[in-house]
Amino acid sequence: MTTTNEHVLVNPVTQPVIAPFNGAPRLASLAGTRLGLIDDSKRNADVLLEELAELLRTRYEIASVKWHRKPSASRPADPDALKELVAECDSVIIAIGD
Amino acid sequence: MSEIGETTTVQWDSALEAIERCYELGWTDGLPVVPPTEARVAEFIDRTGRPAGEVVGELPERRREITVGKVAANAVMAGCLPEYMPVVLTTTEAMLDPVFNLVGPSSSMGGSAILTIVNGPVARELNVNARNNLFGPGNRANATIGRAIRLILMNACAAIPGVFDRSVIGHPGKYTYCIAEAETETHWTPLHVERGFQAEQSTVTVFAGESPRQVRSVGHPEPILLAIADAASSLGTNMSTSGSVGEIGTGVRQGQIVVTIAGNSGLWKDWTKDQVRDFIFQRAHRSVAELKRAQVLAGEIEPGDESTPVSLIPEPSDILLLFAGGEESNMSSVIPSWGPKVGSTAVTRAIT
Repeated sequence: MTTTNEHVLVNPVTQPVIAPFNGAPRLASLAGTRLGLIDDSKRNADVLLEELAELLRTRYEIASVKWHRKPSASRPADPDALKELVAECDSVIIAIGD
Repeated sequence: MSEIGETTTVQWDSALEAIERCYELGWTDGLPVVPPTEARVAEFIDRTGRPAGEVVGELPERRREITVGKVAANAVMAGCLPEYMPVVLTTTEAMLDPVFNLVGPSSSMGGSAILTIVNGPVARELNVNARNNLFGPGNRANATIGRAIRLILMNACAAIPGVFDRSVIGHPGKYTYCIAEAETETHWTPLHVERGFQAEQSTVTVFAGESPRQVRSVGHPEPILLAIADAASSLGTNMSTSGSVGEIGTGVRQGQIVVTIAGNSGLWKDWTKDQVRDFIFQRAHRSVAELKRAQVLAGEIEPGDESTPVSLIPEPSDILLLFAGGEESNMSSVIPSWGPKVGSTAVTRAIT
C-alpha cells in the first residue's frame, strides 16, 4: 500500500550483469613460454610492445612472440584472433598506446 | 521486482518535489525530467507491443543488457510522447548494432554525440523538424527523442561523464541530437532509400558525429559545395587525425560524414545526390605534406608530398547527404564522424 504522497518510479538505470569466470593460473616461470601481444593500434602501442618483448626475450628467455594488431583501438579484439592467442600462447600482454 | 522492471518508491507532494526526487536519484542529464511513474512507463511500453523485459541490445564491454522497460523509462523522463516510443526503441537498437560499436563513440575522449536521423512517413506524423533551426531548439519531437537517447546512454548504457564517458570537451549535441530530412520538399532520393529501404518505410539512422559545423557560402551550387568540401577537409577533425588517415596501412581508416544542404530544392535541379557526393569526395582531402606538418603522418616531407592528396572519406557513399535546414540556400552543415569507419559505422533500421 502506498500513501497519497508515495509514488512508484521505474528505475531507468541498468546494473552490470557479470558472468562468473576463473582467471588463468599464474605461470611459475616465463622461461621457454610463448608470449602473445595485442597491439590496440593507437600510436606508440607497437613501440611499447616491441621494447617489452625484447626485454622479456633477453631477461626471461621467452621462446616466441605472436602479435595481433587490432584494426581499431575502440573495437574489441577479433574473437578468432583471441582463440588463436589462447591456443598458441602461454601468456598475453595488451598495450594501449596514445 | 515487478513485471515492468526494478522500481523505487519515493515521496512527493508537488510537481517540483517530484522533479527534485529524480535529481536526488541521479537519473537526469542536468535538466529536469518527467518522473518515470509506473503508469506512464507502462503506457510507453504498450506502444511497442513488446514485453518490458525483452532485451533490445547489449553493451558487452560494460556488461549491460538494455530492455524495452529501460528504454521506456528514459523516454518518459526525456519528455517524449508515447507515440515517439517506436522511434526511440529503434534508435536504441540501431546504436547497439555491433558495427556501430557504441562503446567507442560513447566513451572516447574524441567526444561525439549520437545523431539520430529520422526518415519516412513517421517523421511527418510525429512532426520531426527538418527545416528552420534544424538542430534546434523549439520542437518537441526532435528535442525529446534526442534527449531520450542521451538518457538511455547515461542511465542504461552507463555512459556517465567522467566515468565511462571520457570526452575532453563534451558536445552540445549530447543533450539532444535528432533531425529529419525534408524529403517531401526535394527531388533528391531520401537517405533511407539510398540505404536500401522503401520510401514508404520509416527509418532511423544513427551516426556518431562531432558538432555540426555551419558552412556559409554564396547560395549557388558550386560555391556551396566548395565550401562544404573545404570544411570537410579541415585539420583537427576526428577524420584528419592520426587515428584515422594516419594509419593508411591498417585497412580503410577514413571516416564517414554527414552533410546537410538547406534552401530551395530547385537550386539543385541539375544535380543528383550522387553528383553532389562525387563533387565533395573529390575535394575532401589534404596533401601528404600538410598531414606531415601537422604530424598526422609521420616522417620528413619528401618531394611530391605537396601534390599527393590523402582522401579523408573512404568513398562517396560514405557521405550521408541530407536535404534539410531552413529555406535559405547559403547555410549548410558538415558533421565529421567521431572516428574511422572501422571504429563506428552509421546504421539505418526500419521502424516497425
